[in-house]
Amino acid sequence: MPKSFIPAALVCGLMFAMAPILIANAPYESTMGLVQKIFYVHLPSAWMFLLGAIIGGIASVRYLFRGDPRQDRLAWAAAELVVLFGAITLVTGPLWARKAWGVWWQWDVRLTASLMGWMVAVAYMLLRKFGGPGSDKLAAGLALFGMANVPFVYISVNYWRTIHPTTNVVPTLPTSFGVPLWFSAATFLLLFMLLLRMRIRLEEQRARVDALYLSMDA
Amino acid sequence: MKLLKSMVVVTVLLAGSAARHPSYDASVHAQQPPPQQQDEFVPIDQLPPQDQLPAAPMLVGAYSFVAIALFAYLVSLARRLTAVQHELERLEGDVKRGGA
Repeated sequence: MPKSFIPAALVCGLMFAMAPILIANAPYESTMGLVQKIFYVHLPSAWMFLLGAIIGGIASVRYLFRGDPRQDRLAWAAAELVVLFGAITLVTGPLWARKAWGVWWQWDVRLTASLMGWMVAVAYMLLRKFGGPGSDKLAAGLALFGMANVPFVYISVNYWRTIHPTTNVVPTLPTSFGVPLWFSAATFLLLFMLLLRMRIRLEEQRARVDALYLSMDA
Repeated sequence: MKLLKSMVVVTVLLAGSAARHPSYDASVHAQQPPPQQQDEFVPIDQLPPQDQLPAAPMLVGAYSFVAIALFAYLVSLARRLTAVQHELERLEGDVKRGGA
Protein backbone atom coordinates (compact mmCIF):
# COMPACT_ATOMS: atom_id res chain seq x y z
CA MET A 1 0.00 0.00 0.00
CA PRO A 2 1.25 3.56 -0.65
CA LYS A 3 2.40 5.60 2.37
CA SER A 4 -0.47 8.04 1.88
CA PHE A 5 -3.08 5.29 2.39
CA ILE A 6 -3.29 5.43 6.21
CA PRO A 7 -3.52 9.27 6.45
CA ALA A 8 -6.11 9.28 3.65
CA ALA A 9 -8.12 6.59 5.48
CA LEU A 10 -8.01 8.70 8.68
CA VAL A 11 -9.17 11.80 6.81
CA CYS A 12 -11.95 9.76 5.21
CA GLY A 13 -13.07 8.48 8.63
CA LEU A 14 -13.15 12.04 10.00
CA MET A 15 -15.13 13.23 6.99
CA PHE A 16 -17.63 10.40 7.48
CA ALA A 17 -18.00 11.48 11.11
CA MET A 18 -18.53 15.13 10.12
CA ALA A 19 -20.91 14.59 7.21
CA PRO A 20 -23.98 13.70 9.35
CA ILE A 21 -23.51 16.93 11.34
CA LEU A 22 -23.51 19.03 8.17
CA ILE A 23 -26.48 17.10 6.80
CA ALA A 24 -28.44 17.47 10.05
CA ASN A 25 -27.80 21.25 10.05
CA ALA A 26 -28.91 21.67 6.42
CA PRO A 27 -32.38 23.23 6.08
CA TYR A 28 -35.47 21.16 5.35
CA GLU A 29 -36.61 21.28 1.74
CA SER A 30 -40.05 22.92 1.42
CA THR A 31 -42.03 20.11 -0.23
CA MET A 32 -40.17 16.94 0.80
CA GLY A 33 -39.12 17.87 4.33
CA LEU A 34 -37.05 15.35 6.29
CA VAL A 35 -36.93 12.67 3.61
CA GLN A 36 -35.00 14.99 1.25
CA LYS A 37 -31.91 14.37 3.42
CA ILE A 38 -31.56 10.95 1.77
CA PHE A 39 -30.38 12.97 -1.25
CA TYR A 40 -27.00 13.62 0.50
CA VAL A 41 -26.07 9.93 0.33
CA HIS A 42 -28.12 8.90 -2.70
CA LEU A 43 -26.57 11.35 -5.16
CA PRO A 44 -22.88 10.88 -4.16
CA SER A 45 -23.30 7.09 -4.25
CA ALA A 46 -24.92 7.40 -7.71
CA TRP A 47 -21.94 9.47 -8.87
CA MET A 48 -19.51 6.82 -7.58
CA PHE A 49 -21.61 4.15 -9.29
CA LEU A 50 -21.25 5.96 -12.63
CA LEU A 51 -17.57 6.80 -12.01
CA GLY A 52 -16.85 3.12 -11.33
CA ALA A 53 -18.56 2.13 -14.58
CA ILE A 54 -16.46 4.68 -16.53
CA ILE A 55 -13.19 3.56 -14.90
CA GLY A 56 -14.08 -0.09 -15.50
CA GLY A 57 -14.95 0.59 -19.14
CA ILE A 58 -11.77 2.55 -19.92
CA ALA A 59 -9.58 -0.03 -18.16
CA SER A 60 -11.33 -2.81 -20.09
CA VAL A 61 -10.73 -1.08 -23.43
CA ARG A 62 -7.04 -0.73 -22.57
CA TYR A 63 -6.90 -4.36 -21.46
CA LEU A 64 -8.56 -5.58 -24.65
CA PHE A 65 -6.20 -3.61 -26.92
CA ARG A 66 -2.94 -3.77 -24.93
CA GLY A 67 -3.37 -6.89 -22.82
CA ASP A 68 -1.97 -5.17 -19.73
CA PRO A 69 -2.98 -7.24 -16.66
CA ARG A 70 -2.89 -4.12 -14.44
CA GLN A 71 -5.78 -2.70 -16.45
CA ASP A 72 -7.68 -5.95 -15.99
CA ARG A 73 -7.18 -5.75 -12.24
CA LEU A 74 -8.35 -2.13 -12.24
CA ALA A 75 -11.48 -3.05 -14.23
CA TRP A 76 -12.30 -5.91 -11.86
CA ALA A 77 -11.86 -3.68 -8.80
CA ALA A 78 -14.01 -0.94 -10.35
CA ALA A 79 -16.77 -3.44 -11.24
CA GLU A 80 -17.01 -4.56 -7.63
CA LEU A 81 -17.38 -0.94 -6.52
CA VAL A 82 -20.06 -0.41 -9.17
CA VAL A 83 -22.01 -3.25 -7.56
CA LEU A 84 -21.53 -1.75 -4.08
CA PHE A 85 -22.39 1.88 -4.88
CA GLY A 86 -25.07 0.82 -7.34
CA ALA A 87 -26.77 -1.20 -4.61
CA ILE A 88 -26.67 1.83 -2.30
CA THR A 89 -28.14 4.03 -5.04
CA LEU A 90 -30.88 1.55 -5.91
CA VAL A 91 -31.90 1.07 -2.27
CA THR A 92 -31.76 4.68 -1.04
CA GLY A 93 -33.58 5.98 -4.16
CA PRO A 94 -36.79 4.00 -3.60
CA LEU A 95 -36.76 4.89 0.13
CA TRP A 96 -36.85 8.54 -0.92
CA ALA A 97 -39.29 7.93 -3.77
CA ARG A 98 -41.87 6.18 -1.57
CA LYS A 99 -42.33 9.41 0.35
CA ALA A 100 -41.69 11.92 -2.44
CA TRP A 101 -43.52 10.20 -5.32
CA GLY A 102 -45.82 7.82 -3.44
CA VAL A 103 -44.31 4.75 -5.14
CA TRP A 104 -41.22 2.66 -4.44
CA TRP A 105 -40.28 2.26 -8.08
CA GLN A 106 -41.17 3.72 -11.45
CA TRP A 107 -40.10 2.11 -14.73
CA ASP A 108 -38.86 5.38 -16.18
CA VAL A 109 -35.71 5.75 -18.26
CA ARG A 110 -33.26 6.79 -15.55
CA LEU A 111 -34.29 4.19 -13.01
CA THR A 112 -34.42 1.40 -15.57
CA ALA A 113 -31.07 2.38 -17.12
CA SER A 114 -29.48 2.54 -13.65
CA LEU A 115 -30.81 -0.92 -12.83
CA MET A 116 -29.43 -2.20 -16.14
CA GLY A 117 -26.01 -0.68 -15.41
CA TRP A 118 -25.97 -2.36 -12.01
CA MET A 119 -27.00 -5.69 -13.53
CA VAL A 120 -24.18 -5.42 -16.09
CA ALA A 121 -21.71 -5.02 -13.21
CA VAL A 122 -23.23 -8.01 -11.39
CA ALA A 123 -22.96 -10.02 -14.64
CA TYR A 124 -19.30 -8.94 -14.91
CA MET A 125 -18.60 -10.22 -11.39
CA LEU A 126 -20.39 -13.52 -12.00
CA LEU A 127 -18.51 -14.00 -15.26
CA ARG A 128 -15.16 -13.38 -13.56
CA LYS A 129 -16.00 -15.77 -10.75
CA PHE A 130 -17.56 -18.65 -12.68
CA GLY A 131 -16.58 -18.02 -16.34
CA GLY A 132 -13.37 -20.03 -16.32
CA PRO A 133 -10.46 -19.43 -18.73
CA GLY A 134 -11.04 -16.57 -21.16
CA SER A 135 -13.67 -14.93 -19.00
CA ASP A 136 -11.41 -11.88 -18.56
CA LYS A 137 -11.83 -10.88 -22.22
CA LEU A 138 -15.57 -11.59 -22.22
CA ALA A 139 -15.99 -9.60 -19.02
CA ALA A 140 -14.00 -6.71 -20.53
CA GLY A 141 -16.47 -6.63 -23.41
CA LEU A 142 -19.32 -6.55 -20.92
CA ALA A 143 -17.73 -3.63 -19.06
CA LEU A 144 -17.87 -1.62 -22.30
CA PHE A 145 -21.68 -1.94 -22.25
CA GLY A 146 -21.63 -0.79 -18.65
CA MET A 147 -19.66 2.32 -19.62
CA ALA A 148 -21.84 3.01 -22.68
CA ASN A 149 -24.86 3.05 -20.38
CA VAL A 150 -23.46 5.92 -18.25
CA PRO A 151 -24.25 8.92 -20.50
CA PHE A 152 -27.65 7.36 -21.13
CA VAL A 153 -28.33 7.32 -17.36
CA TYR A 154 -27.09 10.89 -16.95
CA ILE A 155 -28.94 12.66 -19.76
CA SER A 156 -32.09 10.52 -19.75
CA VAL A 157 -33.90 12.83 -17.31
CA ASN A 158 -33.42 15.80 -19.65
CA TYR A 159 -34.60 14.09 -22.83
CA TRP A 160 -37.45 11.84 -21.74
CA ARG A 161 -40.51 12.55 -19.66
CA THR A 162 -39.70 11.21 -16.21
CA ILE A 163 -40.60 11.97 -12.62
CA HIS A 164 -36.94 11.83 -11.52
CA PRO A 165 -35.38 15.28 -10.83
CA THR A 166 -33.36 16.62 -13.77
CA THR A 167 -29.62 17.41 -13.87
CA ASN A 168 -30.46 21.12 -13.30
CA VAL A 169 -31.11 20.51 -9.59
CA VAL A 170 -27.46 20.37 -8.48
CA PRO A 171 -26.13 23.50 -10.30
CA THR A 172 -29.00 25.58 -8.91
CA LEU A 173 -28.74 24.39 -5.29
CA PRO A 174 -28.54 27.17 -2.66
CA THR A 175 -25.34 27.14 -0.59
CA SER A 176 -27.14 25.78 2.47
CA PHE A 177 -28.00 22.61 0.51
CA GLY A 178 -24.86 22.63 -1.65
CA VAL A 179 -22.24 22.57 1.14
CA PRO A 180 -23.41 19.28 2.72
CA LEU A 181 -23.90 17.74 -0.72
CA TRP A 182 -20.39 18.58 -1.97
CA PHE A 183 -18.84 17.58 1.37
CA SER A 184 -20.64 14.26 1.22
CA ALA A 185 -19.58 13.83 -2.43
CA ALA A 186 -15.92 14.50 -1.52
CA THR A 187 -16.19 11.95 1.32
CA PHE A 188 -17.64 9.32 -0.98
CA LEU A 189 -14.99 10.06 -3.62
CA LEU A 190 -12.17 9.61 -1.10
CA LEU A 191 -13.75 6.38 0.14
CA PHE A 192 -14.15 5.18 -3.44
CA MET A 193 -10.46 5.81 -4.16
CA LEU A 194 -9.36 4.04 -0.97
CA LEU A 195 -11.58 1.02 -1.62
CA LEU A 196 -10.41 0.89 -5.22
CA ARG A 197 -6.79 0.89 -4.08
CA MET A 198 -7.47 -1.88 -1.53
CA ARG A 199 -9.33 -3.96 -4.12
CA ILE A 200 -6.51 -3.57 -6.67
CA ARG A 201 -4.06 -4.60 -3.95
CA LEU A 202 -6.10 -7.78 -3.42
CA GLU A 203 -5.84 -8.66 -7.11
CA GLU A 204 -2.10 -7.90 -7.11
CA GLN A 205 -1.57 -10.27 -4.19
CA ARG A 206 -3.70 -12.94 -5.89
CA ALA A 207 -1.59 -12.57 -9.04
CA ARG A 208 1.57 -13.08 -6.94
CA VAL A 209 0.06 -16.20 -5.34
CA ASP A 210 -0.81 -17.59 -8.81
CA ALA A 211 2.72 -16.84 -10.04
CA LEU A 212 4.22 -18.64 -7.03
CA TYR A 213 2.03 -21.72 -7.61
CA LEU A 214 3.09 -21.76 -11.25
CA SER A 215 6.78 -21.44 -10.33
CA MET A 216 6.43 -24.36 -7.85
CA ASP A 217 4.80 -26.54 -10.52
CA ALA A 218 7.54 -25.78 -13.05
CA MET B 1 -73.65 -40.88 -15.44
CA LYS B 2 -73.06 -39.98 -11.80
CA LEU B 3 -70.19 -37.76 -12.85
CA LEU B 4 -72.36 -36.04 -15.46
CA LYS B 5 -75.07 -35.39 -12.86
CA SER B 6 -72.63 -33.92 -10.39
CA MET B 7 -71.14 -31.72 -13.14
CA VAL B 8 -74.59 -30.41 -14.02
CA VAL B 9 -75.31 -29.66 -10.35
CA VAL B 10 -71.98 -27.79 -9.94
CA THR B 11 -72.60 -25.81 -13.14
CA VAL B 12 -76.08 -24.81 -12.02
CA LEU B 13 -74.81 -23.77 -8.60
CA LEU B 14 -71.94 -21.71 -10.10
CA ALA B 15 -74.27 -20.04 -12.61
CA GLY B 16 -76.69 -19.22 -9.82
CA SER B 17 -74.03 -17.69 -7.59
CA ALA B 18 -72.60 -15.69 -10.50
CA ALA B 19 -76.03 -14.38 -11.35
CA ARG B 20 -76.67 -13.46 -7.72
CA HIS B 21 -73.38 -11.54 -7.23
CA PRO B 22 -74.09 -8.29 -9.11
CA SER B 23 -77.42 -7.76 -7.35
CA TYR B 24 -75.81 -8.59 -4.00
CA ASP B 25 -72.98 -6.07 -4.65
CA ALA B 26 -75.46 -3.49 -5.82
CA SER B 27 -77.53 -3.86 -2.65
CA VAL B 28 -74.43 -3.58 -0.45
CA HIS B 29 -73.27 -0.47 -2.33
CA ALA B 30 -76.75 0.98 -2.14
CA GLN B 31 -76.66 0.69 1.64
CA GLN B 32 -73.26 2.44 1.97
CA PRO B 33 -73.32 6.24 2.24
CA PRO B 34 -71.57 8.00 -0.67
CA PRO B 35 -68.08 9.39 0.14
CA GLN B 36 -68.19 12.94 1.38
CA GLN B 37 -67.07 15.58 -1.04
CA GLN B 38 -63.80 17.23 -0.02
CA ASP B 39 -64.11 21.00 0.11
CA GLU B 40 -60.66 21.89 1.45
CA PHE B 41 -57.13 20.52 1.76
CA VAL B 42 -56.44 18.48 4.87
CA PRO B 43 -53.05 18.91 6.60
CA ILE B 44 -51.15 15.62 6.67
CA ASP B 45 -50.91 15.59 10.47
CA GLN B 46 -54.72 15.58 10.66
CA LEU B 47 -54.99 12.38 8.64
CA PRO B 48 -55.70 9.12 10.47
CA PRO B 49 -52.45 7.32 11.41
CA GLN B 50 -52.93 4.56 8.80
CA ASP B 51 -52.99 7.19 6.00
CA GLN B 52 -49.86 9.04 7.12
CA LEU B 53 -46.46 8.08 5.73
CA PRO B 54 -43.71 9.10 8.17
CA ALA B 55 -40.37 10.16 6.71
CA ALA B 56 -38.16 9.20 9.65
CA PRO B 57 -38.21 5.40 9.05
CA MET B 58 -37.27 5.99 5.39
CA LEU B 59 -34.39 8.27 6.38
CA VAL B 60 -33.15 5.94 9.11
CA GLY B 61 -33.48 2.97 6.75
CA ALA B 62 -31.49 4.69 4.02
CA TYR B 63 -28.64 5.81 6.29
CA SER B 64 -28.54 2.45 8.06
CA PHE B 65 -28.31 0.62 4.75
CA VAL B 66 -25.44 2.86 3.61
CA ALA B 67 -23.54 2.32 6.87
CA ILE B 68 -24.11 -1.45 6.90
CA ALA B 69 -23.27 -1.92 3.20
CA LEU B 70 -20.04 0.06 3.43
CA PHE B 71 -18.98 -1.58 6.67
CA ALA B 72 -19.78 -5.09 5.40
CA TYR B 73 -17.82 -4.47 2.21
CA LEU B 74 -14.86 -3.08 4.14
CA VAL B 75 -14.82 -6.12 6.45
CA SER B 76 -15.13 -8.51 3.49
CA LEU B 77 -12.29 -6.78 1.66
CA ALA B 78 -10.05 -6.76 4.75
CA ARG B 79 -10.71 -10.49 5.36
CA ARG B 80 -9.93 -11.40 1.75
CA LEU B 81 -6.74 -9.32 1.85
CA THR B 82 -5.61 -10.96 5.09
CA ALA B 83 -6.29 -14.46 3.73
CA VAL B 84 -4.33 -13.80 0.53
CA GLN B 85 -1.50 -12.21 2.50
CA HIS B 86 -1.23 -15.32 4.73
CA GLU B 87 -1.28 -17.61 1.69
CA LEU B 88 1.41 -15.53 0.04
CA GLU B 89 3.63 -15.65 3.13
CA ARG B 90 3.16 -19.42 3.41
CA LEU B 91 4.03 -19.96 -0.26
CA GLU B 92 7.07 -17.69 -0.08
CA GLY B 93 8.23 -19.69 2.95
CA ASP B 94 7.75 -22.95 1.04
CA VAL B 95 9.69 -21.63 -1.94
CA LYS B 96 12.57 -20.47 0.29
CA ARG B 97 12.70 -23.83 2.08
CA GLY B 98 12.58 -25.64 -1.27
CA GLY B 99 15.44 -23.49 -2.62
CA ALA B 100 17.60 -23.95 0.48
